[in-house]
Amino acid sequence: MKKPIIAVKNLHKHFTVYKKQPGLLGSIRSLWKRKYETVAAVDGISFSINQGEVVGFIGQNGAGKTTTLKMLSGLLYPTSGEISVLGHNPWDRESVFQKQFSLVLGQKNQLWWDLPAMETFLLNQAIYDIPEKRFRKTLNKLVDLLDVADVVQVQVRKLSLGQRMKCELIAALLHNPKVLFLDEPTIGLDVVMQKTLRDFIAEYNKEFKATVILTSHYMDDVKELCERVIMIDHGKKIYDGLLSNIISKYARNKTLSVIFSKPVAKKSLEKFGTIKDWSESAATLLVPRKDATKQAAKLLESLPVIDLNIEEAPLEAIIREVFGNKAKDA
Amino acid sequence: MALSVWSVLFVNQETLFSYNRAEMISYIFVAALLQGLILATSLHGLAQRVYSGEISSLLLKPMSLFSYLAIEEVADKARNVLATIIESGILLVLFQPQIVMPSSGALILFLLWTCGGVLLNFLFSLLFGTLGFWSPETWGPKFLFFIFLDFSAGKLFPLNILPVWLQTMLSFTPFPYLTFMQTQLFLDKVPVGDLLKHSFLILFWVALLALLNSLLWKRGFKSYAAQGQ
Repeated sequence: MKKPIIAVKNLHKHFTVYKKQPGLLGSIRSLWKRKYETVAAVDGISFSINQGEVVGFIGQNGAGKTTTLKMLSGLLYPTSGEISVLGHNPWDRESVFQKQFSLVLGQKNQLWWDLPAMETFLLNQAIYDIPEKRFRKTLNKLVDLLDVADVVQVQVRKLSLGQRMKCELIAALLHNPKVLFLDEPTIGLDVVMQKTLRDFIAEYNKEFKATVILTSHYMDDVKELCERVIMIDHGKKIYDGLLSNIISKYARNKTLSVIFSKPVAKKSLEKFGTIKDWSESAATLLVPRKDATKQAAKLLESLPVIDLNIEEAPLEAIIREVFGNKAKDA
Repeated sequence: MALSVWSVLFVNQETLFSYNRAEMISYIFVAALLQGLILATSLHGLAQRVYSGEISSLLLKPMSLFSYLAIEEVADKARNVLATIIESGILLVLFQPQIVMPSSGALILFLLWTCGGVLLNFLFSLLFGTLGFWSPETWGPKFLFFIFLDFSAGKLFPLNILPVWLQTMLSFTPFPYLTFMQTQLFLDKVPVGDLLKHSFLILFWVALLALLNSLLWKRGFKSYAAQGQ
């Protein structure tokens, strides 16, 4: 059996949070009496990831995704549990380990604000001890792939968000990390730029056999890049498996989109499923997954149908439903 | 300003608080130089950088955070010293004061003690940096400390003008080694028999502060929340 590149066992991270009473009186009272609360940001998560896998971390805000990534990269000290990344305990922050991974936080940057991105690249070359020949080769390749040749000499603060994000990625990849932690890498970018970055990440994974953990609120990122997803809710893992299986596990309905050759009354559609949308010449129905084919055949038989489509529910809707149900259960 | 104040005080007197005019002027110049070299620091905002999570990007890199901060500090000091040399040079040319120069042996020891002072202040700055692990309120305690340092390190006036009991109390602290003792060595006011004792005391304070830093940073990293990053 292949030894996993990343192995996490029963990981916990608790934060102590100060609860302040509102107003001036609350502030004064807090001088001698304070209320603290322990928040379990990560609550007993376990998983393992093999080399070359691209895994999506899905969860609502505050679910514990970023906290997990920060523990995997050695920034945060776990309250309890075990982590092994590339055979190292990230918390030891050994140079040999740090030279093999990168953490990219979409909302923050490591680039020097007042200097051109090239200065950060050169600094990283020195810090990561990258030989000149390899540095130039990787840099030229990355600059080419991301099409930023004309901006690397411009002050970072004068770059657009998209250009900055591309330069961030270059800075993070110059040392050819074997493991990439990407936290919302496409946040705030337009759809064209999102697509460019997604293609780039896929290309990088393929070429370097890099292991990637990606968190994103954009389902397109997850759909395009990740075969496997880990869903986290309130610090707990609620799903770990193939993305395609989420749909069969959680999606209760399929969508039937029908176009009619003659006007059809709304009432005559009710027996086929839940009507989501209706006009005399077209309708959208929600049908239980297991009955979808049967109902589609009946529709074709009994009504003047000229076109019919059977679609899975959008991933966003399924995930919304999963988290919605979990919230109700809680 | 210090130059003008002491010049006025020396108008009708040869010596004051065991300093003659040339010694006092030398004190002012040496203290100014040491202020740029020892007391000025680029790490005033370190606690805030810790609290805001700004140090995260440094912690992820294969390098020592403290080496990085030390290099930042050295770069800042190089700039300060250059500015002080230019400023003092202009004053020296304008006023042409008499400056007392130490022997070459004393000058070497002076440089070593100055390095010790630089290290001590760096360790103090790191110590205040750890406040950021636990509290957003880092400015108050630091402000009080640096005000106290202005008086206790001999930045504003020589410590010999203080009452003896206060001088004795200060001698049990590391603060005189942040400017005052170096100026005394420069002015040949430290008895030869005490040189070794003071050298050991500097090493003792450096070791103690380094140990304290090691304990607090280790503890701090465990509570580090990498907020906002």
